[in-house]
Amino acid sequence: MSKPTDLVQGTLDLLILKTVAVEPMHGWAIAQRIRQVSKEVLQVNQGALYPALHRLEQQSWITAEWGESENNRRAKYYSLTKSGKKYLQSEQANWERLSAAIGLVLNTA
Amino acid sequence: MRRLQSISHRLRNLFHKDAVERETDQELHFHLERQIAEHAAAGMSPEEARREALLEFGGVEQFKEECREARGAKRIESLLADLRYGFCTLRRSPGFTIVSVLTLALGIGANSAIFSMVNALLLHPYNFRNLDALVRVWEDRGIDEGYDARYMAPADAQDLRSTNDVFEGLATYAFQSFGLGKEGDLRPILGCRVSANFFDVLAITPAAGRLFGAAEEQPGADQVAILSYRSWQGRFGRDSQLLGKTISLNSRAYTIIGIMPKNFDYPVPVELWVPLALTPAEKGDRTQLSLSALARLKPGVTVSRAGTVLAGFSHRLEQQYPRTNAGRATTLLQMRKELYMFTLPLFLLLQAAAGCVLLLACANLANLVFARMIGRHREIALRAALGAGRGRLGQLFLSETLLYSSAAGILAVATSFAIVRALRTSIPAGWTKWVPGWDGIRVDGNVLAFTILVALSVGFFLGLATVLHTSRVEPNKTLKETGSGTATPAKRRVRSALVVAQVMLALILLVCAGLTIQGFVRLATVYRGFEPASVLRMEISLPEKLYSDNVKITNFYHRLLRATASLSGVQHASLVTNPPASNVDSETTFFTMEGQAALKISEIPSADLQIASSDFFDTLKISLIAGRIFSDTDGANSAPAAVISRGMASRFWPKGDAVGHRIKLGPQDSAEPWLTIVGVVGDVRQNWWNSLTRPVIYQPFGQSPQRSITVLVRTTANPTNSVSAVRDVVRQMDPGIALRGINTLEEEIADSIAIIRIMGILMGIFGLLALALSSIGVYGVLSESVAQRRHEIGIRLALGADPRDLMKLILGQALKLTGIGLVIALPCAVAISRAMAHLIFGVVSVDFTILGGFTALLVLVALGAGYFPARRAMSVDPMVSLRYE
Repeated sequence: MSKPTDLVQGTLDLLILKTVAVEPMHGWAIAQRIRQVSKEVLQVNQGALYPALHRLEQQSWITAEWGESENNRRAKYYSLTKSGKKYLQSEQANWERLSAAIGLVLNTA
Repeated sequence: MRRLQSISHRLRNLFHKDAVERETDQELHFHLERQIAEHAAAGMSPEEARREALLEFGGVEQFKEECREARGAKRIESLLADLRYGFCTLRRSPGFTIVSVLTLALGIGANSAIFSMVNALLLHPYNFRNLDALVRVWEDRGIDEGYDARYMAPADAQDLRSTNDVFEGLATYAFQSFGLGKEGDLRPILGCRVSANFFDVLAITPAAGRLFGAAEEQPGADQVAILSYRSWQGRFGRDSQLLGKTISLNSRAYTIIGIMPKNFDYPVPVELWVPLALTPAEKGDRTQLSLSALARLKPGVTVSRAGTVLAGFSHRLEQQYPRTNAGRATTLLQMRKELYMFTLPLFLLLQAAAGCVLLLACANLANLVFARMIGRHREIALRAALGAGRGRLGQLFLSETLLYSSAAGILAVATSFAIVRALRTSIPAGWTKWVPGWDGIRVDGNVLAFTILVALSVGFFLGLATVLHTSRVEPNKTLKETGSGTATPAKRRVRSALVVAQVMLALILLVCAGLTIQGFVRLATVYRGFEPASVLRMEISLPEKLYSDNVKITNFYHRLLRATASLSGVQHASLVTNPPASNVDSETTFFTMEGQAALKISEIPSADLQIASSDFFDTLKISLIAGRIFSDTDGANSAPAAVISRGMASRFWPKGDAVGHRIKLGPQDSAEPWLTIVGVVGDVRQNWWNSLTRPVIYQPFGQSPQRSITVLVRTTANPTNSVSAVRDVVRQMDPGIALRGINTLEEEIADSIAIIRIMGILMGIFGLLALALSSIGVYGVLSESVAQRRHEIGIRLALGADPRDLMKLILGQALKLTGIGLVIALPCAVAISRAMAHLIFGVVSVDFTILGGFTALLVLVALGAGYFPARRAMSVDPMVSLRYE
């Protein structure tokens, strides 16, 4: 398995928020989803994932609830809060601006 | 909102710590399981799948810790642990804890008690809306006679009211005494005549009824009155049907139209207010400064801006009416500031003294804490070695000192209610109404907030000091040392400096306390020029209907004095308009000296006017300087006579030939008769705030009879024994007349300076506290230093040192510390007492007896505090102390 690309500081938060924006999801599913959607490029390490989830919950961007998982086990489901949604929008806009800018520099230089 | 959620989240983390931990566990476990299932689905054997998943997963415990940190739980947890630890430490040394909490509580309590007075008297003397916009306005004739002598001429006030653009409203008022009630039962009552807008300017609405209307300022339409709450309660028995009823004032019927709210006592506690209805002639008067004035500044107008406008106004008047207005400057002062002149120095001094007591307590506590820190050196070094950063150690110390100070704060708050009540009731009930705000002294939100703030900042700064003091711990060195830790020279210096500072503060505080107490004693004996002992005073007032002319009045009082004087046990009986210690200024009057050129109105001299019967000077034992005192022949048919005070005689007839000259009340053209000066008597202090040498003119009662007057009786024995006999005399002469204000003159004097006495007592308490705290400080530092030098002392003794030299060594150290403190403090104390002499009544100047006495006292205390540790040092057994190490 190739070493996962190091995520830029703060990008993981963005990815998590975007992922749980679709539907409430538990930690493992979030990691899987990010991996699948990024076509196996982005591998989220559990060691980074759970502290990040707890931090986001602490900041009230996301909220957690215990629920039944697809294999009938108790799992902690995270979903986006209202303020999290707003935060996600502004962060996404920021990111797009930033990556477009980087693209411009890389393509012209 | 988000913050709120975040807080509730954090609290959950804190209080349901186990549940949260379990959940994290479960969550990570679930993840692991899913990973294993994933691998199994990909075709691995169960064991292989498990191994692979665990490998991928990494250190579970480490993640958990990271999660914990992400939740922000760690900081609070460690704070709680520190508090818990601090609490245990405090419990382990109860003596230390009790001493520190008690001394701190003393300091904090002293401050909050004084602050409760400052809060009531300086910050909220009146509860008027926007108090800072209210100003007093008066015309200064170049000699500001202060508080009670600030007036305007009615016409000038009217001009100012109609031309200025800085005041929302300008109100005028004047006091008047009325006779209240039916014929035969007239009772004197103090009232105030006020312009119709008076209450509007103050922004006060009545508790019941209505205010005066502008039409009621017209003479003839002015027979309406508003009662004070106290009067409604006391005189009219809370009659709920009182509005609309009429009362008789000076035999005119007044309709009661309103009752003021409970604590409204402006300008002074009067019983009623009536409209100030001036006749057109009175309104046009520019000569007499007869009205007091107050105004409310328009929003946004500053006092200085209004001052400029007033200066322009007086300038215009000066040019327009040079005869009357030359040299008059219209002046203003914030109402609050006017009170400050009287109360601010006293209370600043008290608050500063309380602050000093707190500083002394803090210094003591710091000394104790630092001493204990030396004992805890190894613990601290160990903590540092185990990786506790400076911040972490700081948090530990802070939580300990904050625990002390909070406990002290709680103790201070708990006792403050009783202390503040004692303060409030410390001056006689009848007097509190004369001090605006005094009845408002209580523990309110402001006082509580102040106490909490003081307690927390004390804890914070003590903690900070401890951190700085222990910052340079070198774990390596300390842990290698054996025995209990020792203080480095630098740290000993810090603690010595604390003691020096304590001695300094103590001396300054003691000198201030000494001066204040001395000032109080001086005030108590300020009533010089007469003998107050064995004198009874009472007020009497004759009804106008029955005693309509001067003959009837003179006859009544003549018979009264004769009958009273013939009672057994009575030496003298006499009459005077304003006896000493009445707490009221005497009526002042202009006077003209015969043969002197006409003066501008602003230059006419003025004097206090007293009307007295012939025995007055003997009753109070006022000395006769020249000429004669009044006799019974100075009556209506003889030449008008006057006796003047020594101060007046020496000021206006410096050659000492006052007797025989003639003076006239009022200006040159007044219709008053010429009075021949027949005698000069000694100066009498009227009230404690008056200067001794105020000029006084006495007129004989027979030539200027008054219906309301004070009777003074000098007795041979205890004056209270004669009260009922004097009552009987009055009752036999006219049963309809009541006596009021019966009291001995001595008691009256004591009551009138009650506030100053409280100041003296409080300062005395603070001084004693300072002495006690600083001697504890000296003792603490010396005994600590002896304890630490046990080893050294043991060796010295073993080598044959003389115990007496050791004694000298220790006492020398005590003297050195005290000496340095005293040398620094002496010039400060001199400077402060100079300042006090300017600000505090009764304090004269630097008093070298006080200064020297307290310096000696502090040296003695230091020697005493050093003696016990020195004794202990001498009794050190060399063998024991050497083995002990």
